[in-house]
Amino acid sequence: MEVLKEKVEEEEAAEREEAAERAERGEKTKRPMEVRRGEATMTQEMLRDLERKLSEIEVSVPEKLLTFTKDTIDTSKLPFSYQSNTLKEEQLLQVADNFSRQYSHLCPDRVPLFLHPLNECEVPKFVSTTIRPTLMPYPELYNWDTCAQFVSDFLSMVPLPDPLKPPLYLYSSTTVLKYQKGNCFDFSTLLCSMLIGAGYDAYCVNGYGSQDLCHMDLTREACPLTMKPKETVKEQEKAPPKKYAIKPPRDLTSRFEQEQEVKRQEVIKAEEENRKKQEEARLLEQENAKTDPLHGLRVHSWVLVLSGKREVPESFFIDPFTACSYSTQDDHFLGIESLWNHKNYWVNMQDCWNCCKELIFDLGDPVRWEYLLLGTHKPFLSLTEEEDEGMNDDDDVENLGKEDEDKSFDMPPSWVEQIEISPEAFETRCPNGKKVIQYKKAKLEKWAPYLNNNGLVCRLTTYEDLECTKALEMKEWYQNREDMLELKHINKITGLNVDYFKPGHPQALRMHSYKSMQPEMDRVMEFYETARVDGLIKREETPKTMTEYYQGRPDFLSYRHVNFGPRMKKLALNSAESNPRPMVKITERFFRNPATPADEDVAERVFLIAEERIQLRYHCRSDHITANKREFLRRTEVDSKGNKIIMTSDMCISFEVEPMEHTKKLLYQYEAMMKLKNEEKMSRHQAWESELEVLEILKLREEEEEAHTLTISIYDTKRNEKSKEYREAMERVLHEEHLRQVEAQLDYLAPFLAQLPPGEKLTRWQAVRLKDECLNDFKQRLIDKANLIQARFEKETQELQKKQQWYQENQVTLTPEDEDLYLSYCSQAMFRIRILEQRLSRHKELAPLKYLALEEKLYKDPRLVELLKVFV
Amino acid sequence: MNRLYDMEPRVMDDEMLKLAVGEQGPREEAGQLAKQEGILFKDVLSLQLDFQNILRIDNLWQFENLQKLQLDNNIIEKIEGLENLTRLVWLDLSFNNIEAIEGLDMLVNLEDLSLFNNRISKIDSLDALVKLQVLSLGNNCIENMMNIIYLRRFKALRTLSLSGNPVAEDEDYKMFICAYLPNLVYLDFRRLDDHMKELAEMKHQYSIDELKHRENLMQAQLEDEQARREELEEHKAAFVEQLNGTFLFDSMYAEDVEGSKLSHLPGVGELLEAYKDKFVIICLNIFEYGLKQQEKRKAELDTFMECVQEAIQENQEQGKLKIAKFEEKHLLSLNAIREESELSNIETKIVEYSEDITELLNVLMMLEMQLVEQLEETINMFERNIIDLVGLFVENVQSLMAQCRDLENHHHEKLLEIAINVLEKTVKGEMDEDLPDDLRSLFVDKDTIVNAVGASHDIHLLKIDNREDELVTRVNSWCTHLLDKVHKDEIMRNRQRVKEINQYVDHAQSELDSLECGDLLD
Repeated sequence: MEVLKEKVEEEEAAEREEAAERAERGEKTKRPMEVRRGEATMTQEMLRDLERKLSEIEVSVPEKLLTFTKDTIDTSKLPFSYQSNTLKEEQLLQVADNFSRQYSHLCPDRVPLFLHPLNECEVPKFVSTTIRPTLMPYPELYNWDTCAQFVSDFLSMVPLPDPLKPPLYLYSSTTVLKYQKGNCFDFSTLLCSMLIGAGYDAYCVNGYGSQDLCHMDLTREACPLTMKPKETVKEQEKAPPKKYAIKPPRDLTSRFEQEQEVKRQEVIKAEEENRKKQEEARLLEQENAKTDPLHGLRVHSWVLVLSGKREVPESFFIDPFTACSYSTQDDHFLGIESLWNHKNYWVNMQDCWNCCKELIFDLGDPVRWEYLLLGTHKPFLSLTEEEDEGMNDDDDVENLGKEDEDKSFDMPPSWVEQIEISPEAFETRCPNGKKVIQYKKAKLEKWAPYLNNNGLVCRLTTYEDLECTKALEMKEWYQNREDMLELKHINKITGLNVDYFKPGHPQALRMHSYKSMQPEMDRVMEFYETARVDGLIKREETPKTMTEYYQGRPDFLSYRHVNFGPRMKKLALNSAESNPRPMVKITERFFRNPATPADEDVAERVFLIAEERIQLRYHCRSDHITANKREFLRRTEVDSKGNKIIMTSDMCISFEVEPMEHTKKLLYQYEAMMKLKNEEKMSRHQAWESELEVLEILKLREEEEEAHTLTISIYDTKRNEKSKEYREAMERVLHEEHLRQVEAQLDYLAPFLAQLPPGEKLTRWQAVRLKDECLNDFKQRLIDKANLIQARFEKETQELQKKQQWYQENQVTLTPEDEDLYLSYCSQAMFRIRILEQRLSRHKELAPLKYLALEEKLYKDPRLVELLKVFV
Repeated sequence: MNRLYDMEPRVMDDEMLKLAVGEQGPREEAGQLAKQEGILFKDVLSLQLDFQNILRIDNLWQFENLQKLQLDNNIIEKIEGLENLTRLVWLDLSFNNIEAIEGLDMLVNLEDLSLFNNRISKIDSLDALVKLQVLSLGNNCIENMMNIIYLRRFKALRTLSLSGNPVAEDEDYKMFICAYLPNLVYLDFRRLDDHMKELAEMKHQYSIDELKHRENLMQAQLEDEQARREELEEHKAAFVEQLNGTFLFDSMYAEDVEGSKLSHLPGVGELLEAYKDKFVIICLNIFEYGLKQQEKRKAELDTFMECVQEAIQENQEQGKLKIAKFEEKHLLSLNAIREESELSNIETKIVEYSEDITELLNVLMMLEMQLVEQLEETINMFERNIIDLVGLFVENVQSLMAQCRDLENHHHEKLLEIAINVLEKTVKGEMDEDLPDDLRSLFVDKDTIVNAVGASHDIHLLKIDNREDELVTRVNSWCTHLLDKVHKDEIMRNRQRVKEINQYVDHAQSELDSLECGDLLD
């Protein structure tokens, strides 16, 4: 603690000197107070204050630090290159030392360079050689954003041991990946390795960052997921007016009045905006109330990607902790000491008084960026400038040339092993598969797939307040679910749940928004209409109505709206299924059917069931503005004589744009009405079926929610039990097959051939003897086997007889248990005897056959066939 | 035929038809209604007239919408009187005494034709029946197998019956039909299996290939002709037909007796060649220019039509919107009036409502008037432009034609010169070559030869003038027709729209009136 205090004091002193110097030099730069607040005016009291604050900060850190010190790392298994330096590396270190000395001589007021920290084996390694460019085998890691996201997910952050100085140790990416944790330098080294491997022009940066940046504190950032994508307003290009386009009618409104109106609106708008701005400013002030006393001193490391390669249009920073990209002018980055890639090391010679806003990232410019090794591929700024310099100062050029010779050697190859990430680790991503990020008014939780048994992979909770106590809404992303649920959106305030599904749900559900799972409540269901037979797109429900939208049906139905009346009170055991609500009104709309003329094609029909009326509206003909209408009263009435009136002209009121002869006929109207009656029945039935379907879907959803089974891809060999079993079975079968083959390859002549001198050709006599011996031997074996079976048989029989004898002698004194034992023994023995008997008889049957088979085989054996031919 | 000889033949009169229509019309409740109102013949879709002993088909002209007609089991001898039944899909003439297929040329929609049990011996006169699917010709007198080839033209034919004909006795009968009618599915009420078809195809492959080849040739020829005709049509539309070659030049010399005689003069041959070349080039110029101008006119017309359509569409949309709004209100206010019980309130509401109607009328009429004004302006502009275009075209063609005339004059002078030279020579007797006799007869004196050359020249000029006149008159008449049509269409449109609006407003008003009456009665 003491040391630190001193150091801080020193730093402060240095800063003050520098500031003084600058003032002397007459740089009348107006420093913004935010950047280095109060450095020049630091008083003793403030220092003490600072001390106290610092100690507070330090308190929380140590436990974390302990978890990732050198002691915990097992260095014994690391390759040799980790534990020692090659000759070239030694040379490089010398060059670096030399450079460092010169640098400290030339710029005594700057902090020492971060050149060769120790690695995990206590060996000093130059920073550039710690970068090991590697192209990862995963296509997801080919772009910078996914790459950065992976690094930030995969590693957990450990703060620097000293927030004001670069670390003493810089571990290899191998170790960092193994333990899945590291500080900002570890992060940026790993990310840089991957980015360079993927072809980006990326650099590790050693510099100064804001407190939020260094502590990976996103609580003041809005979550990127909550931001709505900006709607790109595409202005439809107006086609130039055609030659014969009609002139618009003359506008007769007063332009003066319009202008006045616009002015008034503007005034109102301006006022509102003003108010909003003030509000925002106030909020901002509140947020910024806590300022960081160490602002501008905190060491941080991040990655710079320069434009040019991989079609990067503009240079930018990546913060490896959060995987966010920032422009090089961002306020979070307060200064750069040096930067390096796998080939070279550059020291920033530009002034960082205004953060990084005025830095120019032209590494070929030796005035702005002092390089360590010459002869790298960075081109110079521009040739003309260089030539000019050359003209003015010949000596310089010569000197440069000399230096060139001295230093011109390449960066030695990296000592780090290739970066390897196993597929399991890649899939699990976060340490233990779980990660939580706190944003401003939002919390993001991530899980590895299959970690949660309901398939949850990501959850975003947004809060109303900064302290994150009152949840506003929750978004949950799922993966690999069998019911294809993809996203669940829960609004905590309104209680509205919205489920989104991927294609493939058994009911073709696309979206389901509801407040409760009870039927006959407000809900909206959207469907993948192409997957449904009836072409349903959307079904909206309120307690009293149901609206359905269709597309692409052969009957051109596009819309059906059903109004329900209050349910009849009939029985006690009412369920929605047995007692459907009565329908009051059904409205159906149709698309235009091109096969029929427009004035016979119904556009809308309304069944007023309660009033017994049917209203029809037809489509409008293309050259008309009015459409046919027809209204049927389907009340059955009785005339004065008690006869039923079938049809009268006032039962059908119609308006026709172009009156037609045949539609006036009662017969036509009667037939139309009969048809409509049938259709009404059908519509009611369909509406009823829709209601049933809703119930069914709700039931299904509940079941799915309860079961939440996950699907496993058939390509996922690790998780797919079935394929695993199958594979194992296959392996077993293969193994058995192999054993059998080995057996088949056994040579029945081998023991006999072995008796003969090897390498010699058989004589006929030998062959005959060999054959006979083989046969004899086999005969013997058969006899032995028969004898063995016989012997066992006899033994069993004897034992059984003995037992029976014993039983007969002791029958009277036996307990029932003993008797049971005896009986079971008898039956087993009998079974064994019978089996032995069978085996014996079978053996007797087969033995001669086997013998003959062997003989035949011997005659045909390629080794004997020549010699035995004569005897056959 | 041995049936029904003892009965009198009957005539298809109104009574018979009415009876049949009445019997076959709707039943029960609908039947009562039908009886009340009577059924018009033109509303009948299907008619059955079997076992009526009909001798002659007659009196069917009123059944315009008839789709199905059954005339089986009669004694009809001739197919006639079916000219008006163009909607007919199903025609049954089985069990009659028909001897020849005829009188079916108007039945283009016919899909099912039955001529079972007649006396037909030849299949023909069915060309108009492009949609024919089922053809029943069993129990007839068809003898020649070649009749089947005639059926190849019916691409939709699926079912055919020919059993009971002499032709069906042939042992190759089935195979032959399979081979020549590969699209057929049922023959004599039995399905043809694929195996059979394959066999048949193999058997008759050579003759079918030949037939196909011939058919293809015919088809190609027809298409060629069609294409040529279309091209000519196109040229005619550009008013420059047959100017893309030597046609005009040839026609100049076709009726010119003297000219052809004179072409035998020494030196005239080459002169004629050169003249022809130049003339044809000018003709080609006219032709190309004509096509270009035609395209221009077409583009102009298209843009105009498009713009007018757009304007009308937009106007219609506005009108529809207004009406939709009105209808919404209309329903509400009608209901309100119905439910209102206070008489004074009803009256005020009715007044309000009729004001609404008047306003709707005004708004719609204003829209229409606005459109009329806009369109009038546009049409006038179009008229000016198209007249200009036509004028330019005529002018340019006339100047090109003048070039033709110059060429002709030039040629005439040259010819005259040569002729006079030859005359002089013959007069002097220095003529080396022998001239044909009829030519020699011209060289009698100077007047004769000059007259001959002059006559030839006159004919040529006349031809050129005629062609020019034709072109100019045609293009002008096209222009006037077009403009007339545009104006007329616009007037028609306007009248129709005004009528429509009035009708709608009247309807709304009458609805209100009926409501009023009902209220008063209540």
